[in-house]
Amino acid sequence: MKFISKILVLFLSSVLVTTAAEPKKLYTFGLVAKSQSNPVFQAARTGAEQAAKDLSEKHRIAIKIDWRTPNDEDAQKQAEAIEQLVLAGANGIAVSCSDANKLTDAINSAVKNGVPVATFDSDAPHSKRFVTYGVDDIKCGEQVMDELAKVMEGKGVVAILAGNQNAPNLQKRVQGVKNIAKNYPDIKIREVYYHKETPQDAAAKVEQVMQANPDITGWAMIGGWPLFTDNALKWQPGTVKCVAVDALPPELAYLRSGHVQLLLAQQCYEWGYRSVEHLVNKVHFKKNPPAVVDVSPLIPVSKANVEEFAKNWDKWLPK
Amino acid sequence: MTAQSAAESARPRRSRFQESGLVVVILVLGVLLSIFGGKVKVPLFQTNAQGERERVFRVNVEGEREAVIVEKNKFFNAQNLAQLAKDTSFIAIMAVGATFVIISGGIDLSVGATYALASVLAAIVFRQYGPDGPQSAVSPWLSVVIGMVTCLGVGSLCGLLNGGMIVALRVHPFIITLGTMAIFRGIAFVITKGQSIGGFPEKFRDLVRCEVGDGLSLVPLGVMVVVAIVGGVYLSRQTAGRRVYAIGGNELASRFSGIHIERVKLSVYFFSGLTAGIAALLSLGYYGGATSGDGQGYELNVIAAAVVGGASLSGGKGSALGALLGALVIQMISSGIVILGIDQNYSQIIIGSVVIVAVLLDQFNNWLARRRLTAAKM
Repeated sequence: MKFISKILVLFLSSVLVTTAAEPKKLYTFGLVAKSQSNPVFQAARTGAEQAAKDLSEKHRIAIKIDWRTPNDEDAQKQAEAIEQLVLAGANGIAVSCSDANKLTDAINSAVKNGVPVATFDSDAPHSKRFVTYGVDDIKCGEQVMDELAKVMEGKGVVAILAGNQNAPNLQKRVQGVKNIAKNYPDIKIREVYYHKETPQDAAAKVEQVMQANPDITGWAMIGGWPLFTDNALKWQPGTVKCVAVDALPPELAYLRSGHVQLLLAQQCYEWGYRSVEHLVNKVHFKKNPPAVVDVSPLIPVSKANVEEFAKNWDKWLPK
Repeated sequence: MTAQSAAESARPRRSRFQESGLVVVILVLGVLLSIFGGKVKVPLFQTNAQGERERVFRVNVEGEREAVIVEKNKFFNAQNLAQLAKDTSFIAIMAVGATFVIISGGIDLSVGATYALASVLAAIVFRQYGPDGPQSAVSPWLSVVIGMVTCLGVGSLCGLLNGGMIVALRVHPFIITLGTMAIFRGIAFVITKGQSIGGFPEKFRDLVRCEVGDGLSLVPLGVMVVVAIVGGVYLSRQTAGRRVYAIGGNELASRFSGIHIERVKLSVYFFSGLTAGIAALLSLGYYGGATSGDGQGYELNVIAAAVVGGASLSGGKGSALGALLGALVIQMISSGIVILGIDQNYSQIIIGSVVIVAVLLDQFNNWLARRRLTAAKM
């Protein structure tokens, strides 16, 4: 018996020594977002770093996130960053494309050099990326209209705030809003209003439209542009209903004041977290995702759960 | 020997000193990055019978097919050096043009916007002749020529417009180019409505992305060298080039000595616009797309490269080679930050510090020259 326990102790200690001595496999993943100054991408970075920590512990590997994001949106700088990451030996790259045309070749070249690429938030559909993670834009528009119809109790005049008229993803969201509006015979779509995608331009557009169309009783905002300013919605809370996409900290104030009934949050923290999960599965476990398009659902944020949701930003934004 | 002629004869010596100083900085950076950058494992490629690059595979002991991996120095390998040269080229080409303007005592804040406008207008033309365009049946080479002429033409026209307004309105170039910076970018935005334009003829893409040897894309590098040589020869060997230094050194004296100031100013802004057009053309071919947001903030990068390269913002000093080397130093620092794995947020601090140190070194160099001149007089 003594002999057996000695053997067992020897075996266990040898296993422990071997395990402790075995160097952890290191993976470096490049993260190339659109711009440093946009808080949604800082949340994506925090998500990626948290995923690196969690998955390193879980799978006994070492993951390093190499954040290479231009200060302002610049697709050429993003392409250069991808090329540099490949040459610096990155094991995988996740990118949110500022311009799919400019990034397709850089992504394809990385893949050709054995570096898998995932896209998040904004895709390069003609590239050889192995997965893309983000919202389904048509469904996003449909959800905006569905939620707005609920708070308007199925009747009223709706204006759609739509950003840049030539952005394909926004056009899909507008299409989604129109699709669902057909299900509500007592809801009339007044117009789709386009504007330059800055908070000030968007707020000015809302004000102009309301002055010219005081009968509007609902706003379907497929992006939350005007809500980044603090005085965009000039009506008495509750007199005009509003549902908007995104739920960044400045936008939450409109929920609290009652000017906005619902925000549909894109999961920007998950953009980073999920991308790293996909990359680990691809390079460490040699597993492809079940589908190339991985749809990220929108999170509804209302006055009821705004304080709970707001706490997320303490975790999502870098300390 | 008069003070002026002494200064004239001292200028090439000082210039050489400064450029050799930059070469030393580049070599030191290169050695440091080679030593501390470490090694990287990359897949091995070979060129097949069809002339295409493909990965090399082997069968391992378990009988599985696996890619052959080779280990290289992270910095000192052909691909990285070609990449460094390519990334440098866009800014370096514009920096040569900006150096002309700075030597003449002016400034061009509109280079980034000129780059964007030339990009989007040429992109619209290229798209017409691209695989999905209405003119796709036209000879691909003709489309390449038309697109190139458009890009370089728009860049040159923007430069002429800047020069023309500065000369005709007698307004400080800072004000004029600040205005045209907004105007050119605004036009680009109105034309594109903020959208990306792609789908260019393959012949054009192949021409710019043409790879030699181990996947090295050397066209941007070649164009950068040609622009620097032409710019350098013009400035240092041509009378017209020496006039640029003259008006930058003392505009009034140059006017009294019979130099056509207006003509020289027009030519430097023309050259600045042309180089922005050349950089835009290379970017279109290499990256395959254009938006009105292209070249945002490039004016500062370009001016920084010129200043690090020895150009004096008070005029009368600088060189095309210096501009190229200045751009290379900045790009090496930027690439070095990636190679060494330093947090990217430090890159702006480091590059900003380099610009200030370069200016301080320039002032120290001037002080030394003045001391030598005073000693020569005594």
